[in-house]
Amino acid sequence: MSITPEERLDVSMTINGRRYRATVEARRTLADFLREDAQLPGTKLGCEHGVCGACTVLLDDLPARACLTLAVQAEGRQIRTVESLADGQELNPLQRAFREQHGLQCGFCTAGFLMTATALLEENPTPTREDIVETVSGSLCRCTGYQTIVSAIEQAAAEGQTDTEGENQ
Amino acid sequence: MKPPKFRYVAPRTLDDAIEHLASDPDAKVLSGGQSLMPLLAMRLAAPSILVDLQHVPGLDGIEDQGTSVLIGARVTHREIERSSVIAERLPILSSAVVHIAHPQIRSRGTFGGSTAHADPSGEWPTILLAVGATMHAVGPRGRRTIGADDFFVGPFTSTLAEDEILTHVSVPTTRTAWSFQEAAVKKGDYGLALVAATGTPRDGVLLDPRVTVGAAVGSVRRLAEVERLLAEAPLTEAVADEAAVTAAASIDPISDIHGNSEYRRKLVASLVRRAVRELTNGA
Repeated sequence: MSITPEERLDVSMTINGRRYRATVEARRTLADFLREDAQLPGTKLGCEHGVCGACTVLLDDLPARACLTLAVQAEGRQIRTVESLADGQELNPLQRAFREQHGLQCGFCTAGFLMTATALLEENPTPTREDIVETVSGSLCRCTGYQTIVSAIEQAAAEGQTDTEGENQ
Repeated sequence: MKPPKFRYVAPRTLDDAIEHLASDPDAKVLSGGQSLMPLLAMRLAAPSILVDLQHVPGLDGIEDQGTSVLIGARVTHREIERSSVIAERLPILSSAVVHIAHPQIRSRGTFGGSTAHADPSGEWPTILLAVGATMHAVGPRGRRTIGADDFFVGPFTSTLAEDEILTHVSVPTTRTAWSFQEAAVKKGDYGLALVAATGTPRDGVLLDPRVTVGAAVGSVRRLAEVERLLAEAPLTEAVADEAAVTAAASIDPISDIHGNSEYRRKLVASLVRRAVRELTNGA
């Protein structure tokens, strides 16, 4: 195998049910792939070294920090981003709960919280408040003080409706 | 915060992975990447080639082998967290895994990656040293096993050669008295102090006790004086207090923005006391 430092690699993955293909540098993060190559800017980049959780997406249905994953590592995988949640202008129950409970102010961290909560509710549809706190502890929010985010996820769980659209695509 | 340039290969066999790793002195293994990627983002590491192990077969699985459990290097923290074999045979791992960062990290980070990274504040290095685990490695010169005492030799430093790959860790299940203690500013943060203690209880005493400390000191290490104390005495409340004093006197803790040396010394003393109390319950 001949490899050079300038090497660019073909990578393809399924994002929100659609196939994406691009030729990227090996050092391209999944987060940059989503935002720049797939033109899906809903995933936000905060710290870019795995601390803030803003870039959390679902990689084969598990929450993962897109800044700590290389695009080439996601070759052939299924990715879900915040863009998979709403149906057009119609928010899904979790997103609605965030709006109703004031689970966001500036919104920068919200995509990460939504995807983390989506994974939680898919695995455990009836989490305790403690389960929710534990799960979202990997994301930073500087606006809300977290209580409203936890309440939003509680509300979505109580409504018993998580968005499973992404799975069916 | 973008990684520097590197080449990337995703070999499909262990032999190919070793060949790539041996092809360049600055080649590095990429497993879950949850420690390596931040190092790359902060430009603290500049590997020439990353050898991604995700498609290499045979590095996964958690296998109960009776007196030990064989854990594949690519097993994620999340898989440890949800494994019934681990919960039943190695509850010390189950108790510690929830301290490892957050769900988004635990779904990607791997047991072997954290072990080979030998972070002084790593839960797995602290525990693997306390249970006397055996590392299985393979390289251009063949396969070999390395005992935990000979594996962790310094901060971020193991005796794994640059061209060797950690494939499995064999964790003994015979140390049925155990305790893992961690103090962190908040759950999921890097610990300020970690203590693990294990032994085999017999007739009210602890055979072959092993006590380790992580995070508070420069690299994970055993507390030999505490181990001697526990080996010689029945595990009473007085011995727990004495173990705490002994531990505090036998370490030279680090100081940083999160806690100075004296604070960490007190933390370690408290954690050792709690650990010995738990051992008493186990024995």
